[in-house]
Amino acid sequence: MLHRHNLVRSLATLLVILVILAGIYALWLRYQVEPVTRDGKVRADMVPVAADVAGLVTEVRVADNQPVRKGDVLFVIDRPRYRLALEQAEADLASRRVALAQAIREDRRNRAMPEVIAAETIEQGRARVEELRSAAGQAAAARDLARFNLGRTLVRAPVDGVISNVSLQPGVYLMAGRPALALVYNRSMRVEGYFEETKLPAIRVGDPASIYLMGVADEIRGHVQSIAGGVEDRERVGSDGQLANVNPTFTWVRLAQRIPVRIAIDRIPANVRMIPGQTATVVVHPRDDGRSVHRSLPW
Amino acid sequence: MIEEINLLGVYLPAALAWGVLAAVLVYLLRGWLQRLPAYRLLWHPSLLELALFVLLWWGLSALADGFLYRWFTT
Repeated sequence: MLHRHNLVRSLATLLVILVILAGIYALWLRYQVEPVTRDGKVRADMVPVAADVAGLVTEVRVADNQPVRKGDVLFVIDRPRYRLALEQAEADLASRRVALAQAIREDRRNRAMPEVIAAETIEQGRARVEELRSAAGQAAAARDLARFNLGRTLVRAPVDGVISNVSLQPGVYLMAGRPALALVYNRSMRVEGYFEETKLPAIRVGDPASIYLMGVADEIRGHVQSIAGGVEDRERVGSDGQLANVNPTFTWVRLAQRIPVRIAIDRIPANVRMIPGQTATVVVHPRDDGRSVHRSLPW
Repeated sequence: MIEEINLLGVYLPAALAWGVLAAVLVYLLRGWLQRLPAYRLLWHPSLLELALFVLLWWGLSALADGFLYRWFTT
């Protein structure tokens, strides 16, 4: 009697232990295997708009956060100064042309009377024509450059987008090449999900994905566009071409690294606004195409 | 799928929230559990509480993913 009672107790205990293990396995599948991440970000490419010519900003034609089309004038740099430079270059070119015309006339006259004029003088005259012709060419190029610079005083939007973080005011002196304002390229808007490397086997390019912005219940539809080609190896320092310098410490407890997965956006619900930098939760729905990935268990 | 719970502006992972909820529920159910005949049948009676905790944790997660989400979005 006691013996049978012991058997029943053992079986019951075993059953409960199995139930616990099954529950842990289900939890592990739900939280560690399914390709879901809370670590997603809305991203877009940014164009730092810089002036090509240095000078005082005389006019700012955009306000902060204003959408602009490609080619719209954003701000204007000291046009009078560059117009004066163009006039100077034109005047310079005109004087060079006058000098060249005079030299050509002299040369033609000299060559018409070779018996009176010394050969040396004729040669000198010809050389002077060539010299002045190239000087005129130089002046013409300088005039074209001045005209080009004058055109570049109107700083235009290189792409469609939204101007962001403008604090530019007339009177600011801008150096050439220094970014003056940021233009967010809207068409490059996407979501990057940073997935743990343990979740990557379930993700393939083309899989549909749902995106939930923080605090927004509406679902944004998208698909996996690409998976990052590589991430930095944090265990070693030194560049390629040098000897490997591997970190001698190795942590006992460590975390899976995160790999960026780029999600292209297919459909945004009306009234949902995506702003680069926003936090997003990304859920990838793996397609059932018979693929099989042998995944290691929790150990 | 519910991945995080907003608690006064602090975003907690849903797993933590459902785990704490399951632990509280098991604690409340302990008195009732100890009166079950099965409780005396086990070598280690508290195993039953552990099993209930794990099942509740998983069940709450599955319920929240399945139903809670739809209630709040529609």
